[in-house]
Amino acid sequence: MSPYFAGIDIGSTMTKVVIMDDEIVASIIGPTGPEHRKLANKVIEEALIKAALSFEDLAYIVATGYGRINVPFADRQVTEITCHAKGIHHLLPKVKTIVDIGGQDSKGIKISNGKVTGFVMNDKCAAGTGRFLEIIADSLGVPLVKLGEISLTADKAAEISSTCTVFAEHEVINKLSGGESVANLVAGIHESVATRVYALVNKLKIEPEVAITGGGAKNIGLVKALEHKFGFPIVVPPEPLITGALGAALVGKEVYEKYASEGLVPTRSGHGLEEARLFS
Amino acid sequence: MTNFGNGSSLTVADKYYSQYGLRARELKGSGKKIIGYLSVLGPIEILTAAGVVPFRLKGNVSEAITKGDAYMETIICPFVRNVFDAAIKGKFDFLEGMVLPHQCDSIDRTDDVWANNLQLPYWHYLNVPHVTDDPSIEFMKDILRLLIRSLEKLTGKKITDDDIAQAVKAHNENRQLMRDLYVLRKSNPPMISGTEMMKVLVAAMSLPVDESSALIKSVTEEVKARPMPANGKVPRIMLIGDQIDDVAIIDAIEGAGAHLVMDDLSIGSKMYWTDVDATPDPIQGIAERYLRKLKIPTTFVGDGNTYQENLEARFGHMKQFIKEFKVDGAILFIYKYCDPYGFDVPAMKSFIESGGTPVLYLEDEYSTSTLARVKTRIEAFLEMIA
Repeated sequence: MSPYFAGIDIGSTMTKVVIMDDEIVASIIGPTGPEHRKLANKVIEEALIKAALSFEDLAYIVATGYGRINVPFADRQVTEITCHAKGIHHLLPKVKTIVDIGGQDSKGIKISNGKVTGFVMNDKCAAGTGRFLEIIADSLGVPLVKLGEISLTADKAAEISSTCTVFAEHEVINKLSGGESVANLVAGIHESVATRVYALVNKLKIEPEVAITGGGAKNIGLVKALEHKFGFPIVVPPEPLITGALGAALVGKEVYEKYASEGLVPTRSGHGLEEARLFS
Repeated sequence: MTNFGNGSSLTVADKYYSQYGLRARELKGSGKKIIGYLSVLGPIEILTAAGVVPFRLKGNVSEAITKGDAYMETIICPFVRNVFDAAIKGKFDFLEGMVLPHQCDSIDRTDDVWANNLQLPYWHYLNVPHVTDDPSIEFMKDILRLLIRSLEKLTGKKITDDDIAQAVKAHNENRQLMRDLYVLRKSNPPMISGTEMMKVLVAAMSLPVDESSALIKSVTEEVKARPMPANGKVPRIMLIGDQIDDVAIIDAIEGAGAHLVMDDLSIGSKMYWTDVDATPDPIQGIAERYLRKLKIPTTFVGDGNTYQENLEARFGHMKQFIKEFKVDGAILFIYKYCDPYGFDVPAMKSFIESGGTPVLYLEDEYSTSTLARVKTRIEAFLEMIA
């Protein structure tokens, strides 16, 4: 039996788990709550059930994302930059630039031969992140998941000049009372996020192919706005939320195989699921 | 050798680092005049020659600005605002006065805010020029003479050329001792950690020159005598920036599994790498050192024939550091709204990268409130260069 590896990606908004051997066996996506440790247990248990495996079947576990230090049973912590690059390179080997739009940050990653050669992350500001879209969706009374679809019905994108989330929200509300359609406003907001993200990632000198990951990739309107800025198509992986977790699992696999090639077994964290519960 | 009591000299450095100003307060109690200054342009030789104690001001990255913002807008350098906040809260109540050298606009244009709100008995604004040609050297000499006159008025004692020559000698020796300590960072692994080194640098800038020299010398001896740390195969990092004066960022680097082995910081190598030449008129040597030898963005105007020659003159020493200290990656850490460094960033970054050394550019506050984000970037950078 080939060994199994787990990657767990605790993002600011969503927690993702991937279990794999040579390919993905199971994956889970759930919201991140304030209690990372309890959730880390819960999602990995769910993923194990889905994969019909037990915790002991996992040969190595890697945690990533901003909550990566809160996974007691993880054998190693690796940043989301490295993990997204690994995950995307595995799925789409031709990709040279990754755009990741998450809940609280957006970033650009350059890869060459599967290795990170440069990266940029947004400042401590919600502009250009999922949170920005969430706030605007809320003030327009539109569900977040519908934003993409709605923006496609726009006849033109409304001009949103503020990049600051709070000011943009005011601007949207003002334009709404001035008679602008919701669809046009949503399209305008996508345009605004795309401008911001493009300026950020372009510091890396964008090279095709470009892939998009994170929650932002699930918004067709935003992807289209980005494609317009970039000037070429952007590849969306089958499940853009799990590439970080997949990359984490792949890092674990590499570590395990490196040791195995020398007839060794890597050191484990020593924490099991039961022990982890005591912390929560 | 000075007796540092019961406790190692590294412990003493740690004490002066964590209780910043402790020694200055003691000295004030024994009748000494303490003169605070900002920036690497503070003319310490002249302050020492005047018989006062030069004390470089620093802020506290773990403390939020609570009073300072009532006097300074938030577009001003976060470092300057943080130090001013500490001053206005009375953290430096042992100061007799201050010398504020014109390094950047955030210092220059807040001079009156400092002077009017702190109301110290002594105040001197040192109008350091921004170009380095011969007329500027003459100007620099004149403003140093004005500083001498004002210090003579403060102390009631004439400052002779001999006093200045003696002070220059003491500070040159102090810089040599610090460079000797830096040599211990060249081994792999370094004999002294980046965190320990930061504490020594901060302690040193809070002490009179003779005490600073004794401390540095004693640290060097102590470090040489301890067992060599185990040979570690971890990345060797150089940190570049202006006044980074806290271990927080260094802990983040070393905690992520790297060694900080060299710096190009204004309280580090920038301060200690160049000496003052003993010139017949001692003011000449001082003016030349501060204007021409110090490599800082505000007083360096390239006079090379080509752009490449200018880059070499401005940043060439960094490539030298990278070679000598076997640096694997450089972290360029710039405070927000710092335009002098901001202008330098693209050229500096590409110059270092052209030598094959990866650079991580971080722009942040003078505050630990954003440390988690900074840590992720540092970790990702270390994973990238591993």
